[in-house]
Amino acid sequence: MTKVEAIIQVSKLDGVKTALHEIGIEGMTVLEARGHGRQKGHTEFYRGREYTVDLIPKIKLEMVIADTMVEKVVQAISTAARSGKIGDGKIFLSRVDEIIRIRNDERGEDAL
Amino acid sequence: MTTAGSSSSELRDLYTEESARIREQFAGTGNGCAAITQRSALVEKIALHLWKETIFPEERGPRNFTLVALGGFGRSWLFPHSDIDLLFLHADRETEQTFKDQTRSFSQGLWDLRLKVSPATRILQECDRFDPTNVEFAISLLDCRYLAGDPELFARLHDKVIPKLMTREAESLLQRLAEVTRSRHEKFGNTIFHLEPNVKDTPGGLRDCNVALWLSLLSSMDKLHDWPDPKSLLSTSARKQFEPALDFLMSVRCFLHFRYGRDDNLLSWEAQEEAAKRGIGVYEAKELSAANWMRIYFSHARSIHRTATQLLEEIPAAWSSLSRHFHNLRARVSDADFSVVDGLVFLRQSSALQDPEVLLRLFHFVAHHDVRLSTTTEYKIEQVLPSLAATPPKGAELWLYMGEILTQPHAAQALRAMHSLRLLTLLLPELKTIDALVVRDFYHRFTVDEHSFLAIESLHWLRQPRSEWEKQYAEILNELEQPELLYLSLLLHDTGKGASFENHVEGSLAIAEQCLERLDLESSERETVLFLIANHLEMSAALRRDIFDSATVAAFAERVGTPERLKMLCLFTYADIKAVNPDALTPWKAENVWQLYIAAANQLNRNVDQRLHPDVDVDDEKIAQLRTLAPAAGKRVKGFLEGLPQRYLRTYPANEVLHHLEMAESLGKHPIQLDLTRGRHWFELTLVTNDRPFLFGKVAGTLAAWGMNIVKATAFSNQAGTVVDTFYFTDRFRTLELNLSEWERFKRGISEVLIGETDLERMLKSRMQAEEKKGTPKLKIKTSIHSDNLCSSNSTLVQVVAQDRPGLLHTVASCFSHHKCNIEIALIDTEGQMAIDVFYLTANRRKLAPEHLKQVEAALREALQAGP
Repeated sequence: MTKVEAIIQVSKLDGVKTALHEIGIEGMTVLEARGHGRQKGHTEFYRGREYTVDLIPKIKLEMVIADTMVEKVVQAISTAARSGKIGDGKIFLSRVDEIIRIRNDERGEDAL
Repeated sequence: MTTAGSSSSELRDLYTEESARIREQFAGTGNGCAAITQRSALVEKIALHLWKETIFPEERGPRNFTLVALGGFGRSWLFPHSDIDLLFLHADRETEQTFKDQTRSFSQGLWDLRLKVSPATRILQECDRFDPTNVEFAISLLDCRYLAGDPELFARLHDKVIPKLMTREAESLLQRLAEVTRSRHEKFGNTIFHLEPNVKDTPGGLRDCNVALWLSLLSSMDKLHDWPDPKSLLSTSARKQFEPALDFLMSVRCFLHFRYGRDDNLLSWEAQEEAAKRGIGVYEAKELSAANWMRIYFSHARSIHRTATQLLEEIPAAWSSLSRHFHNLRARVSDADFSVVDGLVFLRQSSALQDPEVLLRLFHFVAHHDVRLSTTTEYKIEQVLPSLAATPPKGAELWLYMGEILTQPHAAQALRAMHSLRLLTLLLPELKTIDALVVRDFYHRFTVDEHSFLAIESLHWLRQPRSEWEKQYAEILNELEQPELLYLSLLLHDTGKGASFENHVEGSLAIAEQCLERLDLESSERETVLFLIANHLEMSAALRRDIFDSATVAAFAERVGTPERLKMLCLFTYADIKAVNPDALTPWKAENVWQLYIAAANQLNRNVDQRLHPDVDVDDEKIAQLRTLAPAAGKRVKGFLEGLPQRYLRTYPANEVLHHLEMAESLGKHPIQLDLTRGRHWFELTLVTNDRPFLFGKVAGTLAAWGMNIVKATAFSNQAGTVVDTFYFTDRFRTLELNLSEWERFKRGISEVLIGETDLERMLKSRMQAEEKKGTPKLKIKTSIHSDNLCSSNSTLVQVVAQDRPGLLHTVASCFSHHKCNIEIALIDTEGQMAIDVFYLTANRRKLAPEHLKQVEAALREALQAGP
C-alpha cells in the first residue's frame, strides 16, 4: 500500500477531487496548508503598509491506496492540478506497512 | 409474579418481560413520563425483591440500615438506560460492617441483571457533612426516596439531616450548581439552538429542568429550613410552560434510549426524522416534517432554558464576589425609564411599555449595557405583545431603533432576548421563516436564526480583537459609514433557507426586499443590503480560486464595485464563516479572506479611471435604472456620462446622477453649482462646474478656512470638462449645524473663491494661525508618497499617506496644480489621524513623464514637510 501526499493549488482542489472520483478513489483527507517551494512570495501594499505573503496558501491531500492504483492516481492528480506555472505543487509517495479500520479491525487493503 | 425464593433467572425474565412491555407501550403511546415512572416501579420491585433475598426478609427492616433511591431514580424518572443511583444508609459503622457482604450480594444481583447501578454507602453522620469536592452527592440527596429498610433512619435523614445541611450550605451549593451549569452552557456555546442537540446536556435540556428544580428547592429550603410544598417550587406562569416542556423532553429521551439501546441522548438528524414521523412528544396525531418537529423541540427547550437561567440570575448567592461586583457596577447605568439591579433590568413604571418606543428603547438599553431582562420585565413585555401585534411599529421609526440596536456592542444578546419573547418576529415577520430552523449540512452547528445572531455577535467581538488578523478586520469595521446596513443584511441573509426557493440566496433577496420596504429604507441603503445578501457567498467562492491571480481579483473587484461595499462584504464573509461553528474560521481562511480583500481594494483604486465611452454599450444596471428614472433624458444622460470613469457610476445612485445632470445643465445660469446636504455622519457638498486650474485645491482650502474637516472626497470629470466633486466633511465648530443662515453664506464663500472674488490665501492664513495654537497631535503618522505609472493606461497614480491636519488636501492639490498636473480623479479618505489620498494625475491629457513625476514628488514632500 502507498501513501500519497499531494500539495496543490487551492483553485485545483475541485478538479483534482473530480479526477480522483472518476478513477474510483473516494476517500481522502484534505488539509489547509501554507508554504512555498521555488515559487516566491507576494507583496501587496495597502494603505501605506506592506503585506508580504511568503507562505502561500495551498491544499494538502492525503490518501492511502493499493499499489496497483499508484500510477493512475499520480496521473489523475498531476493532470488535474497542472497549470504549467511555478507553484503547481508536488506529489510524494511513501510505503505504508499496515492499515487498521477502527470500527471493525479490518486490516490491509480490506480496510482501504 | 415472582416469589421470595425465585432464582435470579426468574428475576431476569421478569425484568426482560416488563421492560419489553414498557417499550411496547411507549411505542404505542409515545408517553415518556409513563415509561420512566413504570421503569422506576419495575426497578424498585426488583430492588425490594433482592433486598428481601439478600439483606432482610422483610421490607421494613433491619434496624439502622436503609436503602435509599437518589437522583433520577429518587425522582422516579428512570429512563430506559439511565444509571440507578442507590444509597446504602447506615446508622453507624457497626451496622455497615455487619451488612457489608449482604450489600455486596445485593449490588451483584442488580449487576447480574445488567442494570447500571451507582451505589454509595454512607453512615448518617457523613450525610450531614458537606464535601465541596463532591457536591453532586449533596445535590442528589435532594431527590432521595425511601425504598426499604429502617424507615426511622430514613426519616432522620429526610426530615432532619437534609434540611439542616441544605440550610447551612445553601450558598455554597447554589454557587457550585450555578458554576457547573454555566460552564456546561458555555461548552455548548450558551445556546439551545444546536442542529443536533443533546436532550440531556444542551442548554434547555433535561439537565436544565433538574437545575431549575434544584435551585428553586434549595432557595426555598434556605428560607423555610424545611422541605417546601413541591407545588410551590415554580411560579404558576413558569410552571405553565415548564411542565409541558418537561413532558416533551422525557418522551424524546425515552425514544432516544430505546432507539440507540444505550444511554445516548444525541438528537441526531436521523433520530429527528424518525421522531417527527412518529410524532414523539406531540399528541396531535399528525405527521410532521423533521424541521417542524424540531421547532416544537426548540420552543420547549426555550421555556426550560429561560426558567433555568432566570433562576440562576435571580439567586444572588450564586454569584462569585467578582461577578457580584461587576453586576453592581451595572447598576450605575440605570436611567429615567429603566433600573438595573444585580445585572437585571426593571421598569421604573410598569405601564411604560404601552408605548412601543419605550419597548424598543428597552432593547437598545440591553444591547448597549450588557444586562438581562428581569422576570417581571419579561412578564410585562409578554402582557403588551397582543396590543403591539395589532399595530406593530414599522417604517422609518422602527428602522431608526432597529439600526441603533444592531450597532450596539451587545446587539446579539438583545436580539436573542427579543426573539425568545417572540417580539423580534412580531417586528420583523420575515424572520419567521428561520425561527429555530434546522438546515442540515455537514458544517453548521446552529439553527439558522442563531447562526444569524452569532454572525452579528462575531463582528461586535472585533471591538476587542484577540489576534493580529482580528485587528485588521476591526480596523475596516470602524471605517464603515453605515455599519447598521451590514448588520441588517446579516440578520436577513439566510431567511431564504426557510422558504421554498431552490436557491436560498434568491429566497433571502425576495424576503429581504419586503422587509426593507416595510422599514422604509432609502433606495441607496436598500441597494447596499440587497447587494450584500445577493453576493454573500462571492468572497468564499473567490477563495476557491487563485487569489493571487490578477484576473480572479479583477473579476471579483468588478463584481463588488466600490471600496465601501468591499469592506462590508469582507466583514460579512468573516462573520458568516465564523458563525458556522467555532472552528470554521481557521487562521488560514481568515488570512486568505484578508489577502483577497486588500488585493481587491487595490484593484478598485488602481483601475478607477476606466472611462465610459459613448460608442460602447455599457451593460450596467445603473444605466438601465437611469433610463427607467428619466426616459426622456436619454441622450442628455449619455452626453453627460461620456468620459466619466466607471467608478463614478458605482459611487452614486441613479437619482444623484440625475441631480448632477440637472446641475450641469444649470451651469449656463451660474457657473458654479453647489449642493449642500447634511447626512447622518457628516455634511456633503457637491460641486458641479467646468474644470479649471486649482479647482479641487481651492474648494479643499475654502473648507479648511471655514474650519471644516474633510473626511472623504471624490473628484470626477467628463469628456466635456464638467467636473463633479463631492466633499464629505465634519463641521468642527458647528458653524453650519447651529446657524442655518450660514449655509448660504458658506456656499457663496466657495463660489467667490472659485471665481476669484475672495482671497483664499488670506482666509487660510487666519485659520491656520488659530490652529497652530492647538499643539501637536498625539499620534505621529509618517508621510509616505507612492507613485505608479503602470497601473492605469491614462493617468499616473500618486498615493499620499500623511498626518491628517487642517488644510492638508489644499496643500497637496495646490502642489499638483502648481506643477501643471490635472487631477483626473481624487479619492480622499481619512482613518483616524491618517489621511489616505489617492490621485490620478495627467499633464496635457497624458501620464506624467518620469522626470516630471520626480519633480512633483519632491515638491510634494517639501510642501508636506513645511506644514500648512
